[in-house]
Amino acid sequence: MRKDSDFLGKDVLSIRDYKRDQLERLFHSVEDLEKSPNSLDGLLKGSLAALLFFEPSTRTYSSFQIAASTLGMQVTGFASPAGSSVSKGETLHDTIRMFEGYGADCFVIRHPMPGAARYAAETTDKPVINAGDGSREHPTQAMIDLFAIRKAFGKLDGLKVGILGDLKYGRTASSLAYGLSNYDVEMIFVAPEALQMRPEVQHFLKQRGITFKSEKDLRNVVGELDVLYVTRIQKERIPDPTEFEKVKGMYQVNLETLKEAKPSLKVLHPLPRVDELAAELDATNFADYFVQAAAGLPLRMVLMSLVLGGGS
Amino acid sequence: MAEKQREERMLVRKIEEGAVIDHIPDWKAETVAKVLRLDRLAKMQPNISVAILQNVNSKSLGRKDLVKIDKWHVDEKDADILSLVFPTITVNYVNEWKVSKYHPKVPDVIEGRIKCPEVLCITNAQREPVVPKFMTLKRGRMLQCVYCDSLLDFDSVPDHVRS
Repeated sequence: MRKDSDFLGKDVLSIRDYKRDQLERLFHSVEDLEKSPNSLDGLLKGSLAALLFFEPSTRTYSSFQIAASTLGMQVTGFASPAGSSVSKGETLHDTIRMFEGYGADCFVIRHPMPGAARYAAETTDKPVINAGDGSREHPTQAMIDLFAIRKAFGKLDGLKVGILGDLKYGRTASSLAYGLSNYDVEMIFVAPEALQMRPEVQHFLKQRGITFKSEKDLRNVVGELDVLYVTRIQKERIPDPTEFEKVKGMYQVNLETLKEAKPSLKVLHPLPRVDELAAELDATNFADYFVQAAAGLPLRMVLMSLVLGGGS
Repeated sequence: MAEKQREERMLVRKIEEGAVIDHIPDWKAETVAKVLRLDRLAKMQPNISVAILQNVNSKSLGRKDLVKIDKWHVDEKDADILSLVFPTITVNYVNEWKVSKYHPKVPDVIEGRIKCPEVLCITNAQREPVVPKFMTLKRGRMLQCVYCDSLLDFDSVPDHVRS
């Protein structure tokens, strides 16, 4: 893999920081890795990745851990704040400075507070990869989602993408909308009013001249869609429990819901799912979410390699 | 002009040192006092006096408010923040009785003076040494938090001034 100055030594904080040609280069490298799965093994030997997960995570943590290990990196950090100095009240600032002192070459950070990743990047000169900051952004998940859609259709341009569920608190939904804005797509945001896409996301899309609309009922639009991106209701981020009770279960996607869908529709989900995506879809041609999930590892391997400058 | 000067002379005396915030829309002087945190300032520096004039005749606005602050010069950055809410305001700085006029400008970046409206934003974390920072989206009359992207419309700025 060739060094790429657009990625080398750079933070990965927001999918908005990437233009279409940069994403396409990233995706080509992921395709190369899928063709030669061992081609990056050991590439970053001698480097240290600090995985600091201030919010519990299993799959994102694991995929970064496996990606870093396969690249030959040593891995340090924590998968949850419990048991770390964070639980004793240590600040994000001090935690980063500590791991910097231990020789970390890059940081992968998940934090419950929006803006934490950008702040972390200001605290250290080492590259910071945002693995999710509160309800705002999850750029590497958006890269995976774009890659999966592109893989399923061979393109992104011309598609109509529905993003369903908790768009207000779900960081993958906003990051995907930002990422799709690089392509000639139409977006439909399907959510109850209380959980519609946040104003700053809509403002960004309007500024970029992107076509989108909001819709409350999936049944009104399901027949138009090429892609349906389903997200979980973020119970832990909804301040009012009564708000959660009102919307839970309202947006379950199952065979009945997809009765009017195009046969070519692909359903994606960042996983984990709860009630919003029925298991009966798993065996259908609609289901693309496990293919999507499998792209996480090679994509994160390629991204870490590009950021840390592995290759010639 | 004579009438205007006479009216102001009747209400407040001239100051030797300080600042006059002029061309505030009528009945909005209290918002100016809030943004400038004048109550806090007066507690810290008891020699400062503040005169608020409301519903005064104005050639350009019809009616206007003024805030005259004796022995304190309003920071230009604070005046710039005020101009987000009240684009008409001007500031007359008084140094040894001499008056110089400042026309506030909408800043591109605002650092430290405004709280992010997103309570969970990292800039609202209790013990993190991080200073809130906003970019100005002039066309939309909004500020955007550099850290969490939250939007704050110009008219809501007085409710988010840091104490």
